Amino acid sequence: MLEIRFHGYGGEGIVTLAEMLASAAIKTGSQVQSLPSFGVERRGAPVKALLRISDQEIYIRSECRQPDILVVLNQKLLASAIEQGIKENGRIILNHHQPLDCSYPLTCIDATKIAIDENLVIGRVPFINIPLMGAVAFEIDVPFEKLEQAICEKWTGNTGMRNAEVANIGYKTMQERRK
Amino acid sequence: MKKLFDTGCHVVAQAVKCADVDMVAAYPITPQTSVVEEIAALTESGEMNCRFLPVEGEHSAMAACVAAAAVGARAFTATSSQGLLYMHEVLHMASGCRFPLVMVNVNRAVFAPWTLWADHSDSLSQRDTGWLQLYCCSLQEVFNTILQAYYIAERVRIPVMVNMDGFILSHCRMIVNMPDQEIIDKFLQRQPNGWIANPANPSAYACVTGADLYPGFREELFNDTKNADKIIVEAASVYRDLTGFWDGDLIDTYRCDDADTFIVTIGSMAAEARLSIDLLREQGVKTGLIKIRSFRPFPAAALSAVLPDGARVMVLDRNYGLGTEGGIVFSELKASLFNRAAKIEIANQIMGIGGSDVNYQMMADAVTSAWDIRR
Repeated sequence: MLEIRFHGYGGEGIVTLAEMLASAAIKTGSQVQSLPSFGVERRGAPVKALLRISDQEIYIRSECRQPDILVVLNQKLLASAIEQGIKENGRIILNHHQPLDCSYPLTCIDATKIAIDENLVIGRVPFINIPLMGAVAFEIDVPFEKLEQAICEKWTGNTGMRNAEVANIGYKTMQERRK
Repeated sequence: MKKLFDTGCHVVAQAVKCADVDMVAAYPITPQTSVVEEIAALTESGEMNCRFLPVEGEHSAMAACVAAAAVGARAFTATSSQGLLYMHEVLHMASGCRFPLVMVNVNRAVFAPWTLWADHSDSLSQRDTGWLQLYCCSLQEVFNTILQAYYIAERVRIPVMVNMDGFILSHCRMIVNMPDQEIIDKFLQRQPNGWIANPANPSAYACVTGADLYPGFREELFNDTKNADKIIVEAASVYRDLTGFWDGDLIDTYRCDDADTFIVTIGSMAAEARLSIDLLREQGVKTGLIKIRSFRPFPAAALSAVLPDGARVMVLDRNYGLGTEGGIVFSELKASLFNRAAKIEIANQIMGIGGSDVNYQMMADAVTSAWDIRR
């Protein structure tokens, strides 16, 4: 079983991020479980979500204390995210504009810049969860077509197409990093 | 078979839609809120052919369901915690009037102090209202159990409360397989009504009843709630034959055949407890899991049949039985096994109160520490 824990601020879209990755993973035949943080949902407060992906039925109902992957949407939350637990051989994906030193293998992706460059902004809020969907999908070996399908089922028409394009930039960015 | 990937609350709404419910009256309360929102949306869009009555509180929600059932409608409501407590008086009315209602209670701890998270003190405090109580440990079971609840309620004419843990199940997204509608329709064929209110032929119901007749009504309710166990078993078995799904009937068991040590629990803990059993067995402890699915009626005979003489039983309660020596499930189990001649050791651990995290290691630890089993 693969466990991912997401950390962000309320309103940044981690629940949707976990949901879309789960939907994509289902299309590969996996069992999934996604769960937002247990709490009162407030815009701007630190929130978390978890995603479990398994080829067998998932019986776990408890919190995710030792995830394989931490996805952190803001560098300010990195220390607290690590403190809340990560597997010994776990790895981290961070939305950040430059590489950082970390005690765990850490990949930085500038999802904020991708969202702004692609004009995926409403009000003054860039939708950083969209490029991150692609980035995490690559990291957990979910083929991009599956994520694309999931995105186009969630958002119909042009919105779905645009979101899929931007998610693909996230996917390809991670692919480049891997090379 | 349609695959649904959605939150527990939305799975409830889908099950209610599939059950062809005629009337829903409900008032939102965390963590049940999105059940109400989703049913309101489905009825508004016409996707669900049902009257949705937004009421001003839970007392009215239950009263409206009682009235709907009185004219022979299939009615539904959902609530949680304080909302369920606020309904209390009308819960007695629903069971006393023998109306076949179904309610989902999203388990949440009770005030005070304020909290939003799961435990079972809300539903267990309604233990003696005459409602049947079923508990679920997965979203698939929630879907299946709502359909089975109508099957049961309409045959025994006693209302059924389907319980699911707040957030842990209500806000969790998992895959649920929905049987085809024609199979569900076959399973949930409408039963002939008993007495129903009819303005064309006015009559009175449940009027002032003296000591000559009142005891008879209560005795009948007492016997019928106890004997509802047969219909719960039947519902699970017919449902399995039609859909292939099985979540247990009064109880469900896991690796109990050769076990001498048992975990007995209820609600979402019963899912992860399977992993505790696997862990304990790896350590050489012959452990089995009994999930209590029906708390009312209490499955005394079914539990006793699984437990061998000399068994060690760890009851994991997500509630406090205030003024007793432990949790409420623990007290019930102890009382139900009291007349067994051979000794059964029963221990209790209270955990998961107010949504505190419970994982399989903690549940396994409860067993090893109770009997000083070296790991």
